[in-house]
Amino acid sequence: MTLAGLSLRAERGRLIDKLTQIDGVFCLALILIAVAGALMMFSIAGSSWEPWAANHITRFGVAFVLMVALAVIDLRVWAAIAYPLYAVSLILLVAVELVGDVRLGAQRWLDLGPLGSFQPSEIMKLGLVLALGRFYHGLSADRARMSWWLLIPAAMIGAPTLLVAHQPDLGTAMLLALTGLTVVILAGLSWKIIFAGLGLALVALPPFILFVLQDYQRQRILTFLNPESDPSGTGYHILQSKIALGSGGLLGKGYGLGSQSQLNFLPEKQTDFIFATLAEEFGFVGCATLLLLYLAVIFMSLRTASLAHSHFGRLTAAGVTSTFALYVLINGAMVMGMAPVVGVPMPLLSYGGSVMLTVMVGFGLVQSVRVHRYTEVTASKSSLI
Amino acid sequence: MNEPSIILSDVNARQSVFHRRAFLLGGGITLGVSALAGRLAYLQLVGNARYAKLATSNQFNFRLLPPPRGLITDRNGAILATNRPNFRLLYARQKDQDPADMVATLAAYVPMDDLRRQRVLRDLGNAPRNTPVAIVEDITWEQFSAVNIRATELPGVTADMGEVRVYPHGGAFAHVIGYVAKVNQEDITETGPNAEPIMLHPGFRIGRQGLEKSLDLELRGRPGAQKVEVDALGRQVRLAPGGDIPATPGKEVQLSLDMDLQVRGLELFGEESGAAVLMDCRSGDLLALVSAPSFDANRFVRGLSTAEYKALATYDHKPLFNKALTATYPPGSTFKTLVAVAALEHGIDPEMTIRCPGYWYFGRRRWRCDGVHGPTNMHDAIASSCDTYFYTISLQLGPDKIADVARRFGLGQAYDIGIPGQKKGLVPDTEYKRRNFPRDPRWHIGETPSLGIGQGYTLVNALQQCVSAARMANGRKALTPRLIRAIGGVPQTDGAAAPDMDFDPAHLALVREAMGSVTTRGTAARTGQIGLGDIRMSGKTGTAQGYNYNGGRGIHGTNGPWHLRDHAWFVGFAPHDTPRYAIAVLVEHGGFGAQAAAPRARDLMRLALLKDPELRSRIERPPAPPVSVADSGAGGQGGPA
Repeated sequence: MTLAGLSLRAERGRLIDKLTQIDGVFCLALILIAVAGALMMFSIAGSSWEPWAANHITRFGVAFVLMVALAVIDLRVWAAIAYPLYAVSLILLVAVELVGDVRLGAQRWLDLGPLGSFQPSEIMKLGLVLALGRFYHGLSADRARMSWWLLIPAAMIGAPTLLVAHQPDLGTAMLLALTGLTVVILAGLSWKIIFAGLGLALVALPPFILFVLQDYQRQRILTFLNPESDPSGTGYHILQSKIALGSGGLLGKGYGLGSQSQLNFLPEKQTDFIFATLAEEFGFVGCATLLLLYLAVIFMSLRTASLAHSHFGRLTAAGVTSTFALYVLINGAMVMGMAPVVGVPMPLLSYGGSVMLTVMVGFGLVQSVRVHRYTEVTASKSSLI
Repeated sequence: MNEPSIILSDVNARQSVFHRRAFLLGGGITLGVSALAGRLAYLQLVGNARYAKLATSNQFNFRLLPPPRGLITDRNGAILATNRPNFRLLYARQKDQDPADMVATLAAYVPMDDLRRQRVLRDLGNAPRNTPVAIVEDITWEQFSAVNIRATELPGVTADMGEVRVYPHGGAFAHVIGYVAKVNQEDITETGPNAEPIMLHPGFRIGRQGLEKSLDLELRGRPGAQKVEVDALGRQVRLAPGGDIPATPGKEVQLSLDMDLQVRGLELFGEESGAAVLMDCRSGDLLALVSAPSFDANRFVRGLSTAEYKALATYDHKPLFNKALTATYPPGSTFKTLVAVAALEHGIDPEMTIRCPGYWYFGRRRWRCDGVHGPTNMHDAIASSCDTYFYTISLQLGPDKIADVARRFGLGQAYDIGIPGQKKGLVPDTEYKRRNFPRDPRWHIGETPSLGIGQGYTLVNALQQCVSAARMANGRKALTPRLIRAIGGVPQTDGAAAPDMDFDPAHLALVREAMGSVTTRGTAARTGQIGLGDIRMSGKTGTAQGYNYNGGRGIHGTNGPWHLRDHAWFVGFAPHDTPRYAIAVLVEHGGFGAQAAAPRARDLMRLALLKDPELRSRIERPPAPPVSVADSGAGGQGGPA
């Protein structure tokens, strides 16, 4: 540190420097998606800011400020809190298992008294990415490719995944597992292991479905495979969503004129199925535009990861990106009837605070990686193992 | 553990692996998003038509609209049964709702007494969930709008406008037209017209009595459908423009009845119980078919309370009973006209006289006559209703010949006038006795004299009596009555297309002549004068002992308890010379026919004659040079005969 670095003026200058490093186009894309979400909420509430649209915009505003604030935090600080954050998340997940609230048949919520309640699995999404990035940062390419050392990330992924799956929240568990695996693969996992694992998963899938899944989960999968079999029961959501999408056509029915969403045929129209609402009112053109926005966010984020000098920065930014991409793909597939109904929202578009917070905190990390892309992370051990 | 070292090549290796894999990841994500876009294109561009149709069928429902029920009019087009708009409050029981709470809430907007509330709750209990049930009918516009404004706070409640059947003449047509009422569970059948879903509509009513029942399908019409926009719970959001299927109204039914005559007929009875039938004796059209006392059919449409129904059902004058069709009585002396025809047909000389000392012995039993008539021929016997004469000649004829004539005059049979539940009555003969009395199958000769004066087993209803009078007046055709003139503008066959009765016209003319004397100098001389110049009414009185005929020893006249008194009859026709209308009036337990029945027949007949344009012109014509009107004592408003 130089002397100048200690002066207040210089500090301020560096802060402004950092802020200008934040990707403006990226922020614009995020804002556009969030505004599209609010627009749809305004429409389905019968042209009213209440109860969703105003809330959504406020939350996004707060989360956006948070993202900018996190972006200026030094990457080394992120690296330093990686393991502690993971540990705390894991402890909270165990706590949820022991004392959590049961809501809608699943034990996901931790009551914090006056502070409200939250889902520890959301913090874990970030904690896992950070911890894996931190771990691989110190691991050589060879060992990351194939070695006994890989049992450590396997455990790091496995423990939270199983805990969340036991709540049971299959959607989040799947998301955690897939995010973790993406980081592991990006870090250089041998193709042999990848393909072997894929083969094993395929073999294990049928017994898993038959013996491990709960009845309602199995039912969802069966319904997914043949939604028309029970149009008023479990297949109702998928069918109504497809009707909403399909009836939108090329240009949509017009803003505020979607009969499926306005008349409540569409379930969860403001949360998990908001994409179908948009599809109904804005048609293929609206949907394609939105998907392009998502794709732009993903690519800008991936590019940030590629530009980072530190392995930690690369992996964490890519990990967050993959979480985001998985949200988009899983929700999109679900809404279009290509995947079973799992409670995965469309990030930034859907109404809901905790996922919005997770995603924006994640993007705070990504922007921090961008701002500090030349920073060398040496962390505790200034060496590679 | 290896010795910690930073190997530049290793760092580069990690970086290049990451870059390759990140590139793959980007490609994978692009592929995934492209798959989504492809799926979107498939759903939105290829499948658009199909899904748009599904969305429309989600969005719109067709609500059945009950058809307007067909009008019922009289012969001149006066409305007898119509529909009027009705604002009503409907409520469909929702999930997680206590109907009692909702009914209590609604009671704040519309008046509802406890009885009504219980009834509504019972109806709601019987109805399936989400099926609207009428809470209150006929609410005011203010109440209607008060509920409509608060519709969102009252899930399941709708206030709508329907139609309700209304009978503007209250009781006058209640027995003929009957009434409509709510559909019961028993009304709904598996197949046929009563299986249709419109039956479940809260505004739909089914014909429950009279013509409303027998012509129900004609009057019903075909339900229409209204296109409404509904939400996912099936609740109506708004009416959709266009696409409605209009309901087909029920057919209009025109009756042969004349509104004025029918209303007057009921009024004439006052507090008395009885029936009056007036019929065109050329065409067979019924102009009045009255049963008294009556009831307000409109009460039944709304739904009668138990107390109201009990009051009607337990009243001994039996207002719910159609006495013109479904009640039979002995014809009494009116039957003598038919016995006379039988006598003429079997060669008995009408100028033969029988001496009436005021009584008559058969075996050792003494039968009494109403008066001491002295030597009596057939003409006088009819005019003065001499029992002795008819005891004697009926004995000569025997039951079978009398029964044959009675049947040819239309007694003992039911007529297809569109009202079910007619009683055929009874015309007894030896065959009847043989079939119905296995222990005593033989006709005893001692049973014949009472047959001859219309007592004994003989039972007739007022319609048959009127048909019989009409056939007598017509003289040729075996007329049948017609009540329904046209259905949906299609005329129904009238009663004039009837076969001949095969009587000698001279015989009937002779009896008619005698019936003319009944109102000029006979039993109804004081009460049967219609006072319309040279138009006179011919007829025959009858006093039938319904309770316990015992050789004329029953309770006579208006003495004794009401239910033991005689029934009063009058049958007749007018004008006496060119008969146009026939009439039969029954006053149940009314006492003497001349006293209770004849004046009522006279008043009703007078109105019928005055309403007939042809006869009216005859009445208004300057009187012909003096004819023998004086001897009848004009304006004969006298006391009992």
